[in-house]
Amino acid sequence: MTSDSFVSASVSHLSPPEDGGSHSDLQIRFKSEANRLLLLMPPDGDGDANVNTWDELWSQLKQRLAGGERFWQPETSVHLIARDRLLDARQLQSIADILGSVQLRLKRVYTSRRQTAIAAVTQGYSVEQDPPVAHLNQSANDVNQPLADPLYIQTTVRSGMEIRHPGTIVVLGDVNPGGTIVADGDVIIWGRLKGIAQAGASGNQRCLIMALRMEPTQIRIANLVARAPENPPSEYYPEVAYAMAEGIRITKASAFKIPYGTGA
Amino acid sequence: MKRVIVITSGKGGVGKTTCTANLGMALAQLGKSVAVVDADFGLRNLDLLLGLENRIVYTVVDVVAGDCRLDQALVKDKRQPQLVLLAAAQNRTKDAVNPEQMGNLVREVAESYDYVLVDCPAGIEMGFQNAIAGANEAIVVTTPEIAAVRDADRVIGLLEANDVRSLRLVVNRLRAGMVQEDQMMSVEDVKEILAIPLVGVVPDDEKVIVSTNRGEPLVLSTDVSLAGIAFQNIAQRLEGEDIPFLDLSAAHDDIFSRIRRMFRNKNDQRR
Repeated sequence: MTSDSFVSASVSHLSPPEDGGSHSDLQIRFKSEANRLLLLMPPDGDGDANVNTWDELWSQLKQRLAGGERFWQPETSVHLIARDRLLDARQLQSIADILGSVQLRLKRVYTSRRQTAIAAVTQGYSVEQDPPVAHLNQSANDVNQPLADPLYIQTTVRSGMEIRHPGTIVVLGDVNPGGTIVADGDVIIWGRLKGIAQAGASGNQRCLIMALRMEPTQIRIANLVARAPENPPSEYYPEVAYAMAEGIRITKASAFKIPYGTGA
Repeated sequence: MKRVIVITSGKGGVGKTTCTANLGMALAQLGKSVAVVDADFGLRNLDLLLGLENRIVYTVVDVVAGDCRLDQALVKDKRQPQLVLLAAAQNRTKDAVNPEQMGNLVREVAESYDYVLVDCPAGIEMGFQNAIAGANEAIVVTTPEIAAVRDADRVIGLLEANDVRSLRLVVNRLRAGMVQEDQMMSVEDVKEILAIPLVGVVPDDEKVIVSTNRGEPLVLSTDVSLAGIAFQNIAQRLEGEDIPFLDLSAAHDDIFSRIRRMFRNKNDQRR
């Protein structure tokens, strides 16, 4: 593949997400803060069909814990930000157990639901109800939210798996066909990208997608979409995808220069 | 720990049941006590492949409901007394039992057998959840086709999410000639995508169809077949032996000489 080759002819525009980009907030995430780790639950949408069930949250939590296995510091205390999500005693216990399996300790629970607070108190965690929730997670209407810390995850993203993160995502492993990565920041795949990757999901066209081997089903940057070329290249190099006025371009990583100025 | 291995694929028709029947029989031939459990309620087939259909009295559902004891429901194979079958109910659907009941049942069976092989239904719904309950290992069967591999990939993700960590891959129905002509995915291509250790490659073989219709697993047949040998090799690899993979790429005319050679070696080892 020559450098600066187009993935042209297939560029189209995505309609902006109707809910103003807050969809990227729908997965569980970790955030380190001073000497503790915050475990942030996505808000409970009260019957909203897009919202995660407990089973989905549970598999996301497992996935994130396994994907960062090498980096958890033993005996770190974890503060669970449950927001308005109902958690019963059994679910809290499961969370504490799985955190315990990587030597993280659940210490404190923040919630705005009375039942969750009671369940947490009976299990012996310290509980804070309401106030911290409001300012620890700015509500979705806050337009200029800063990007979250990058998510680093070591895993094979298999068919049916979707990883969303309101920041940059780094995957150490392959993204298989049928797997999806959606980041508000950049997407960096240290492996083969064969599935779908979206960078700048909340609208930033200056975000990039990088992969050691770029054979995507589709790549998306902000509201642009591109398919891989019909004829696969004879040789693969690490490549970078970026957005230009005329669409998404892919270039060899060795020839890529970060554009100055407006980036377009 | 007793080994409870679920044999699964996601996609239907790739050979899960054939694998279960043959691996169960091959492990029994190695002197292990084996229970094969059909978890495909409503569409049971494993009994047919083993030729035990007419000996089934009680099924999984009867055991779970407490209508019979577990040992009454285990059908002993007349040709290979080391092998027993626990049949699925044919008149029920996948919702007849839940994963918890199935998990308990499988663990109870595992107490008295070296191996429990669970034949998983196609799909990733309730039947899949039932079949993987209680399993501590999985064999993912796929054919070298893009749809089968995609589904296998999905299933591997689900197995990992359900804490089944020891996963192994069987590539079934490989046609070496087509691979050589680049008309079929190679084993390497499949391995590259699925990224789990390979435990066996089974060639496409018409004898499989014959043995299925007869209810006599290939590995029992006195008639030597490449697929049968492949299954026996998988059984030995499950036992931890380091068996080289069959060379399927060679031209067809010298296959028989190789089989004969292989058999001579095996007989020598047994003596």
